[in-house]
Amino acid sequence: MITRRGMLKGSMGVAVGTVYSGTLISFLTGCNSDNNDTTKDNTGNGDSVTVTPGGLMVVNPILCVGCRRCEAACGWNHEGDVGPVISRVKVAHNMNYGPLGVQADYYEQCGDAGNFACVPQTCHQCNVCMEVCPQGAISVNETTGARVVDESLCVGCGYCADKCPQQTIKVVKSKMKSVKCDLCGGDPNCAQVCATGAIKFYTWDEAEEALEIYNNYTGLVE
Amino acid sequence: MTINYGGWAGKILWVNLTTNEIWTESTENYLDYLGGSGIGYKILWDHHVDGQLGTDPENVIVYSVGPLTGSGAICSGRMTVTSRSPAVPGHLITDGHIGGHIGPELKYAGYDALAVVGAASEPVWISIADDKVSIESASGIWGKGIFDSLAAITKAMGAASQCFAIGQAGENLVPMSGFMCPGGHAAGGHGAVMGSKNLKGVGILGTGTCKINATRDEMRDLDDHILGIIGSNNNNVVPSTPQSWTEYYSSGSRWKARDEITWGAADEPVELGEVAWDERNRIGYRCSMAEMYVGVEYTNKWLKRMGGCHACPIRCYCELKVPELKSRFNFKTEYYTNTCGGFIWGNYLMPTTSGTEEYALTATVGGYLRDDYGIFSGYGLTHHMFKDMKKADLFKNLLSAEEYADVPWELWDNNEPEFLVDLYPRIAFPDNYAHENILGRMMGDPATYIDVLKLDGTNPAIDNWNIYAESGVHLFNRSMKHALHHASECAGQVGSLINVIFNRDPMCHSHINIVNAGLPHDLIAEICAEQFGEGAFDPVKAYTPINEAKVKFAKWCIVKNMLHDSLTICNWVFPLVTSPDVNKNYRGDTTIEAQMYSLITGDEVTEAELDTMAERTVQLHRAFTALEMNSTNLRTDHDVLSDWVYDINPDLAFGDAGTIKMDRDDMQTALTMFYEAWGWDSETGIPTRATLESFGLGYAADKLESKGLLPG
Repeated sequence: MITRRGMLKGSMGVAVGTVYSGTLISFLTGCNSDNNDTTKDNTGNGDSVTVTPGGLMVVNPILCVGCRRCEAACGWNHEGDVGPVISRVKVAHNMNYGPLGVQADYYEQCGDAGNFACVPQTCHQCNVCMEVCPQGAISVNETTGARVVDESLCVGCGYCADKCPQQTIKVVKSKMKSVKCDLCGGDPNCAQVCATGAIKFYTWDEAEEALEIYNNYTGLVE
Repeated sequence: MTINYGGWAGKILWVNLTTNEIWTESTENYLDYLGGSGIGYKILWDHHVDGQLGTDPENVIVYSVGPLTGSGAICSGRMTVTSRSPAVPGHLITDGHIGGHIGPELKYAGYDALAVVGAASEPVWISIADDKVSIESASGIWGKGIFDSLAAITKAMGAASQCFAIGQAGENLVPMSGFMCPGGHAAGGHGAVMGSKNLKGVGILGTGTCKINATRDEMRDLDDHILGIIGSNNNNVVPSTPQSWTEYYSSGSRWKARDEITWGAADEPVELGEVAWDERNRIGYRCSMAEMYVGVEYTNKWLKRMGGCHACPIRCYCELKVPELKSRFNFKTEYYTNTCGGFIWGNYLMPTTSGTEEYALTATVGGYLRDDYGIFSGYGLTHHMFKDMKKADLFKNLLSAEEYADVPWELWDNNEPEFLVDLYPRIAFPDNYAHENILGRMMGDPATYIDVLKLDGTNPAIDNWNIYAESGVHLFNRSMKHALHHASECAGQVGSLINVIFNRDPMCHSHINIVNAGLPHDLIAEICAEQFGEGAFDPVKAYTPINEAKVKFAKWCIVKNMLHDSLTICNWVFPLVTSPDVNKNYRGDTTIEAQMYSLITGDEVTEAELDTMAERTVQLHRAFTALEMNSTNLRTDHDVLSDWVYDINPDLAFGDAGTIKMDRDDMQTALTMFYEAWGWDSETGIPTRATLESFGLGYAADKLESKGLLPG
């Protein structure tokens, strides 16, 4: 049985390539602003952010307010349009009734119709999609460590979507291609527009704690 | 014909519940009307039948979005509902607005509007999964409250879907009813229209996209530009307390984040601290305005996080965890969310004191019950009515002895929120009582019962108590029997004129976003003078006679309101006339809407061009009002204010410092100037043929002329 923790651990071994380390100016408090103080990071605390290969985006459900600006910015960046299907970060699915959908006690579960915890799904940059793809269309971007889809090879068969543990890689029917988080090539738009700093890039060293918080919200509320 | 520019989905979905027919038409027929309200008003005009009621089967109800909704543009997550409204005299056309995520979902499903006509023989809900549309039985959810109904529809549609539904009030044809989405988002005034169609709700699952003409960088640049200007809810652009980064502060501001405020019910409490205007990734913390509704103490106990609409960084909804909802009131949940109106009307109804536990519980208990039953308050009109009538001890003479004995008045007298648990079912289930249930019927249909009960000063049984003379009732437009909504009390004639011409309360915040920005009066007056001319903005409670600048200000506000309800974006945040940025000299940017429209659609427009398109719908609205009322004089038939507006503070005169009193002659002068500014007949307030034709509304002029209603 594949577990999230297992995949996380396993994927660390694959996330190799040219080490990319540096301060992402556009990951700061907004981009291209004539008002920006670019010494602040996305928490507003004044620290810079270092991105290393093989990291991932994780949402803190305590802070997420369900505005879906991340989803829109993802669409602007990758497809030019906006919609939940083409977005690589998945907010809508869990927004109203939590990760398990409508339950008999929906009013105690996560979501806007429940206890208000919003639990967007993000790509954990594991290897499952890459390993199951019969076309060899998914590979590791050596600069960022992200698993990326080569649309020239993808035939839209959907194996990757079926197997994705986070249910974040999806086949877009209009072009019959799988789309997934590629960390925006190291320039994650979702985090840049987040109104509360709820979604952030985590290096592997930092990710386990963030994922542990996240995973507390993916099951039924006891 | 295909619409080949961004923003639009291109189709309007029609459902006839009498015949079960489902079809689409091109949105192209409505592009001149911008979307949202514009589409709604045009469809309703095209299907007008003299004397039709909102509850007649052939009345059309239109749920519509504009080209910005679903685009991710800031504050663009809105949807408009337009139809004849049983909540206003004569069932005239009104439009309501809802946020959340339903509007974008309609766009992603491929539609700019859903128009429903006819009436089903049995309760139904409409399922829209992209181009797969069906009419489903609602027999299993008819009779349920809104919260359970939304869960049932979502369960059928899939977790990623969005939906809306009416509660028992709408089912039971209570005029003051509405519909609601998950997350506390609601639109009022048309619940009974849905109920009359046996339409319980609508579920939507869209897997398409909103097309964007612009590049990512262009969208991000504009997004960032707006973040440098935007304030908090109602565009309050200063914090509510002194903070290290700000030159000004205002206690009334909804920019509430500060050291003392904590999302205390969060699983790990989140201490907000200061949130400066340029902290892009902390803007969602600014508007933690639960303290307005439940006080600071209960905010820090109950507030879990903030919520709101699609693509909006200004989170004005308060997600509360209130243990007492279960432990004291036996509700099945301890969670409740809403924003302004959802919380405050319970406190306007009860004799509560701000900051107390009873105040906080009244806000949340009242909000929960109203939302689940789907009751609409008309900007608090019903609650103000009840409270003033109770204080005047009128009910013992208006209700039968049996009914009077049935009401637990002692709960109200003791300020116990349990009174609301008894009261709201009286409204939502008007026929469920052995007595006439006059109290519940009055609160569910004040437009009718003000006349039935002779509350106009002609009922000797209640000492000729006159509802139009009572400032505490807030009944502002006497003809339309709708409530004051940011009128004379905040912007003198500007607010009054805005409150005059709509058929329900205006839901216009264009002026509030300037007046309540929180900047010093002199600075706001200076900005208003630049926008509208000298003398546009008087100090509150120190009013001067009407002038051209005020008239221009009022007209501009209404045009912007219709613009926002058509695009469809939030009129509680836009327009951005002011900003929190001292480097911008606190000026905002009123061209942002045109910038958004141009980028997303690819149809380049100026602010003036866009405003003209919005004004087209205002003009149509006015012509429609004359047509529906069969009126040759809207000044005397529609634009009439309650007596209290002129007679409040009898010891003070209009213009004296300290009073919001208006002057009858000055208001008539204001109306004349206002009519002329719109190009309406100065005596009757009805659009002239020349004006209607200048907006491409010659067909409306022809219709009015055929009925003998066109001036001149």
